[in-house]
Amino acid sequence: MKTKLFFAFAAFCCLFLAFGTYQGLVVAPTEETMGDVQRIFYVHVPAATVGFTLFFVNFLASIYYLWKRSARADALAATTAEIGIVFCTVVLITGPIWARYAWGVWWSPRDMRLNTTLMLWLLYVSYMILRRSSTGGSTSVLAAALAVFAFLDVPIVYMSNRWFRMSHPAPMIGTPRLDPRMQTVLFINMLAFLCFGALIAWFRYEMERTAQKIDAAHIQKAAGGAAAMLLLPAAFFMAPGHVAPISYLWGGYLAAWGIYVSYLLFLMGKLARLKKEAAELAA
Amino acid sequence: MNAAAQPGQRVTTPARMSIARLTWINVSKDLRLEWRSRDVFNSMMFFALVVVVVFSFSFEREDSRPVMGGLIWVAFLFSTTMALNQSWARELRNGVLDAYRVSPAPAEALFLGKCLGNFILVMLLECLMAPLFVVFYNLSSAGPLWQLLLIAVLGTWALVVNGTFFAAMSIRTRNRELMLPLLLLPISIPAVLSMVTGTSQVLSGEGTPAVQLQFLAGFCVIFTTACFLLFDTVLNAE
Repeated sequence: MKTKLFFAFAAFCCLFLAFGTYQGLVVAPTEETMGDVQRIFYVHVPAATVGFTLFFVNFLASIYYLWKRSARADALAATTAEIGIVFCTVVLITGPIWARYAWGVWWSPRDMRLNTTLMLWLLYVSYMILRRSSTGGSTSVLAAALAVFAFLDVPIVYMSNRWFRMSHPAPMIGTPRLDPRMQTVLFINMLAFLCFGALIAWFRYEMERTAQKIDAAHIQKAAGGAAAMLLLPAAFFMAPGHVAPISYLWGGYLAAWGIYVSYLLFLMGKLARLKKEAAELAA
Repeated sequence: MNAAAQPGQRVTTPARMSIARLTWINVSKDLRLEWRSRDVFNSMMFFALVVVVVFSFSFEREDSRPVMGGLIWVAFLFSTTMALNQSWARELRNGVLDAYRVSPAPAEALFLGKCLGNFILVMLLECLMAPLFVVFYNLSSAGPLWQLLLIAVLGTWALVVNGTFFAAMSIRTRNRELMLPLLLLPISIPAVLSMVTGTSQVLSGEGTPAVQLQFLAGFCVIFTTACFLLFDTVLNAE
């Protein structure tokens, strides 16, 4: 790992994220109808941007793998799918929290946008399951083929906002309907989270390469995210009728950062395990 | 395929059969095997029947039209999954896949043959199950019947083409039969959504399913192409 460069980038990401979060929580103007709760916007939308970007990289890497059979492309594909799931999980958790306040329901099953995002999450989880359960050398090829199929659904997800009537708002970025100050803050946050995504991807990619090299690729899906999804139903039943609006905002931010931090902790644990294994092999 | 089986001799152009003929050989072989054993068809039929009966116990029968689209397609989806798993398992047992890998016949013919065979089987099942739905749920369609038929044909093809592909993929994994639903269901969600919405629309007579039909047709075209392009890779994955 190019350690110095990595840590410099990590420090930059931390500062950038702190700046973006400050902008989102303090500087950005308060929305008229939803009040402060609307600030979930600045974690919800950037997470979606990063998630879709990572899935796109996964698609490109899979195509490249099918073409050239390069182990690096395979590592990149595995990495981006896993981190994409984490970001997608954030979208799927902050979304319902926001929706509960704005629409009065956690989930609107008739809404194509929600369904397709959930479907994308399911697709990439099934991708990770396939990676884990296929045998020997066929893993990479089968996974790459599945990745191509999964990505064919992304345009459907993307266009669903325009094709079908529903409660999820159509994208407003770059339109006069979105306050220009909000737009600036959103872009800052998008950039910050893209850097953050790139940072984790870099870290995870180096790990994946190490794992490939010592031939001990215990590939695991984003267990933290899945566990968080399982805990969620409990929260739904406990939620009382009247909750202070601001707690939706804190809930959204806590959920998003809880997922990011637990994923990072998960990666640390994995790195420690890999290092130990590498040391054992070297001895 | 007998032309391809001469050992030690590279097959030249005259000995090669056209894809259409190879596909036909595959389809007729599958259907003949199925006709003689009726393994898949009987279990698929019985499974769908049980699902219909269980559903009819579980849901209220007064005005079931709005939920009928969902019930019908869930029943068909599960029985299709069952049939698809079996269709490749048979080939794996008899080493047909290995034989196909070494033969010069294009893999696309095998895939198309399997798809058509499964498609015929599932369509037959749907035709036999439709009266049962009518009986159990006292169903009658408010919209025109040909729209239902069109949705059924497109929807079944969407399920079968992806299902055949992913069944071929999942038999290459460690937990064979378990893998197929995990891979197939997420991929088919868009198609299932539009089938269910379209069917409910026709049954209740509220609007025409034009958008759904276009969507299904697009889905079929995109995913059929993708399956054809990638099947060879999956068959030969090592």
